[in-house]
Amino acid sequence: MTNAATAEAPLMQIDDLAVTFQTPRGSFRAVRSASLEISRGEVLGLVGESGCGKSTVAFAMMNYLPGTAQVSGAIKFEGQSITQFSDAELRELRGNRIAMVYQDPLTSLNPSMRIGPQIVEVLRHHLDLDGQEAQVRSVELFASVGLADPERIGRRYPHELSGGQQQRVVIAMALACDPHLLIMDEPTTGLDVTTEATILDLIVELKDRVNAGILFVSHNLGVIARVADRVAVMYAGEIVEEAPVRDLFNNPRHPYTIGLLSCVPQPPGDDGIERQLRSIPGAVFDAQSAQTDSCLFAPRCPIASEICLEASPPVAHVSDGHDARCNKYSDVTDDLWGDLRERQDKPESDSALPVLNAEDLRKFYGGGRKKYILFGPPVRQPVRALVDVDMRVESGRTLGIVGESGSGKSTAARAIVGLEARDRGRLELRGEALEGDVGDRTEEQRSSMRMVFQNPTASLNPKLPIKHAITRALRKFAGVSSAESQDRAEQLMDAVGLDPLYLDRRPSELSGGQQQRVALASAFAANPDLVVADEAVSALDVSVQAQVLNLLEQHQRETGNSYVFITHDLGVVRYVSDDILVLYAGHVAEYGPSDSVLSAPSHPYTEALLSAAPVPDPDAEPTHIRLEGSVPTLRSELKGCFFAGRCPRKIGDICDNEPPSEQQGPGGATHTINCHIPIADLERLQLSDSAINTRAAD
Amino acid sequence: MAVQDSALQPELESGRPSTPLRAANAARNGLALILKTNTGRVAFAIVLVHVLVAILGHWITPYPPTEYDLPNRFSGPTAEHWLGTDDKGRDVLSRVLAGSRSIVWIATLGTILGVTLGTIVGVTSGYFGGKTDQIIMRFVDWFLAIPSLLLAILVINMSRQRFSDLDESWLVILTIGISFMPNNSRVIRSAALAIKPLEFVQSARLRGEPTIYIMFREILPNVLPVVAVEAAIRLSFALLLTAGLGFLGLGVQPPSSDWGLMVSENFRHIGQVPLAALAPGLAMASLVVGINLLADGIRQAQNLPDTGGS
Repeated sequence: MTNAATAEAPLMQIDDLAVTFQTPRGSFRAVRSASLEISRGEVLGLVGESGCGKSTVAFAMMNYLPGTAQVSGAIKFEGQSITQFSDAELRELRGNRIAMVYQDPLTSLNPSMRIGPQIVEVLRHHLDLDGQEAQVRSVELFASVGLADPERIGRRYPHELSGGQQQRVVIAMALACDPHLLIMDEPTTGLDVTTEATILDLIVELKDRVNAGILFVSHNLGVIARVADRVAVMYAGEIVEEAPVRDLFNNPRHPYTIGLLSCVPQPPGDDGIERQLRSIPGAVFDAQSAQTDSCLFAPRCPIASEICLEASPPVAHVSDGHDARCNKYSDVTDDLWGDLRERQDKPESDSALPVLNAEDLRKFYGGGRKKYILFGPPVRQPVRALVDVDMRVESGRTLGIVGESGSGKSTAARAIVGLEARDRGRLELRGEALEGDVGDRTEEQRSSMRMVFQNPTASLNPKLPIKHAITRALRKFAGVSSAESQDRAEQLMDAVGLDPLYLDRRPSELSGGQQQRVALASAFAANPDLVVADEAVSALDVSVQAQVLNLLEQHQRETGNSYVFITHDLGVVRYVSDDILVLYAGHVAEYGPSDSVLSAPSHPYTEALLSAAPVPDPDAEPTHIRLEGSVPTLRSELKGCFFAGRCPRKIGDICDNEPPSEQQGPGGATHTINCHIPIADLERLQLSDSAINTRAAD
Repeated sequence: MAVQDSALQPELESGRPSTPLRAANAARNGLALILKTNTGRVAFAIVLVHVLVAILGHWITPYPPTEYDLPNRFSGPTAEHWLGTDDKGRDVLSRVLAGSRSIVWIATLGTILGVTLGTIVGVTSGYFGGKTDQIIMRFVDWFLAIPSLLLAILVINMSRQRFSDLDESWLVILTIGISFMPNNSRVIRSAALAIKPLEFVQSARLRGEPTIYIMFREILPNVLPVVAVEAAIRLSFALLLTAGLGFLGLGVQPPSSDWGLMVSENFRHIGQVPLAALAPGLAMASLVVGINLLADGIRQAQNLPDTGGS
């Protein structure tokens, strides 16, 4: 390799890449046609839903595909075709010049080795440093990725670090050999929003500091908008649109890109009007299909015509650096996916009796173990998962529960439906007191409170046809005979937008979105008063997520049922909820009407969550409030405020020594904020922060 | 998707749940997968021969297996007696062929009993968890500490006094069942523990389904693959245990031609007619090897990616 070649050739260039996997079930065309270029010093975002071939492209750039893969097209790194490389050359390439960061940091770190020696090993192996030099360099690297106490952190084991710290260590290892190309495959997907924000800050900062090209793979448009310079959108193994980040978000030309952008729940616009969420019908294109002679997006595209079905569309040049693989790129408009309809107001709730009323709900885990198994003092204090939480759900309304992982959201859901018996507190369904365990409740109570889980695949029995879940619910709750249950099940399938023919299929034959619709059909079977949805849309792709959210809303409008909607996604919760409960370490931080909770003044924790949430707008000002670390596990009664350990607005000793009192927020009598800082001060602090100001106006 | 649709059409048009059809399909697919490997084919051939002999053995013996021919005792392999004769002049080949049925029958029934008991105990223990699980599993541990042969001798001796008119083979079956239960229940319990926290089990609890229903309708179908492998592995142990008990004189009684019994009877004369003792042993060994290989085949077939639907 000559220096001249390096200077001229782009850092990484792939041209008409296609990857086909040979499996026992036939060939699987993971990538059909992808052409990309990455230069030093820029971040290329690669975005698309699951199964679109993003990760395969990332792996192909390192020539790191399994033997069953057939690769065609060119992959050139600094002008050299890496498909021709020998094993020894590839090893040198992967360690020294291309580095990769994966989604789950724990699988990239050796759990039985302290992190210091792990990074020293990399340095000695690839850079031939001696022990002393490697040691010094590892401390520099830890410092450069923003790890606190870089001198001593090397002595920790991976499990002693939080998820965010682990990902920082992995990034430090990737940077160890000054790579020319850094590939990041969903590096923040497994992290909490608050941690995600700090990692994204680090990546943005690295972009300026390290002169490397970065390929950033993500399904999240908000994350892409924050870090990328250019964005490539993938659908069904093809790059359908590529543009500089501002162009892509402000002037998208491919119907799929526009669809993806309109599926993300957005805060109300400047006019204060809340918009109906739009969705892309259908599911992600089946990558196994061999079809090539038409536009792959045509079956889901609202403006597809004859020409789209006749041939695969050529890549059209929209403007400088902006390409779209669409026949009709010049015809697309913002209202492609339906008008921006104003959301209808919900019908008035008959507020005579709340559907669900919880007072002082408390759940502690694991206090049962004694020193001598059945006798003696308890080994450890129990974990205080939920501490004296109150909530109230009116009929026809939706209560959103938000918080990071470990904040007690799921415990609250499980205590409400009775999967875990609560330790203390009152729980009433339409004024009737509920037993703790679901087995002790009456059939009627069980039928009027149903639950939808996060993982659609696990919520259906893989060995039974999908009608099982629906007909069992019908027979148990609606008292329907088995002959009639078939008809009713078909109606329910219709209602959730699925072909009734699917009833006899196994769950494995359905996509994740379809499985979640079946779970909804089963939940709706007996017209429940309340449906508890625990992260019910978190595992779904954005286009499918929008379909399910609209389905939930439509059902609520038609039958007047209520939801308890648990999620970590603030955009989603803003869209679906009438009231919001913000939980932190099992304590209520803030509770009140959705609009008041999500605008200043709010609890410092709510403020931090809002500040961390990525916005799909590259022009949004980066916000400043960041939370480090993770939610603590509380085992003893707190003397001070539950949030004092991480609070960015801590005012002093009072936070450590006195529990905060309930204050009435600006949202009226039903809005409470548990904080020592007076509301007026909170408002002044938060509004004076210009970043928050900008965000609130968005 | 289109291909899948048309493939599923016949089933869907029938309207009724097609579970039996699917089960038959699954069994056929499983067999096809086992037969894909050489190991699987060899194992299947060995086991098939043994099963045929077990069924037909009594009718294809050249001589009645218990017929004495004292002048011809201690004969080596000849044209009349391919495997020679034993100390009472009985034809060894006939005795080996006829002996197949009792051992295959006893071992199979014993395994089914053991695996059934183990599955019930394992699924119960795994599903209930907590204190119930602790108590059941300590009891199982206590059982595990007793060597199975010792347990067998204990059970047979105790029950022989009680039920003197009961056929020995039933006692052996019972013994195998009891001594296999603990190991089995451990394996099934761990499989059930992995299924229990899944959302579809929680959904069933939220529907207010009875515990028995959840354990056997929701959880059991998902641990059946584990049960199948476990049964195949256990079967070869059961054969060895049956033969061992026969050898010790605790199983089927003379003059029947149980393999273990044959080995023990002819062991004394191994210098004179080695085949009389070796033949039942070799028959036994080939069956055990065949079954072990088949178990491997089943395991491999199950490790392949889920083939449901396509």
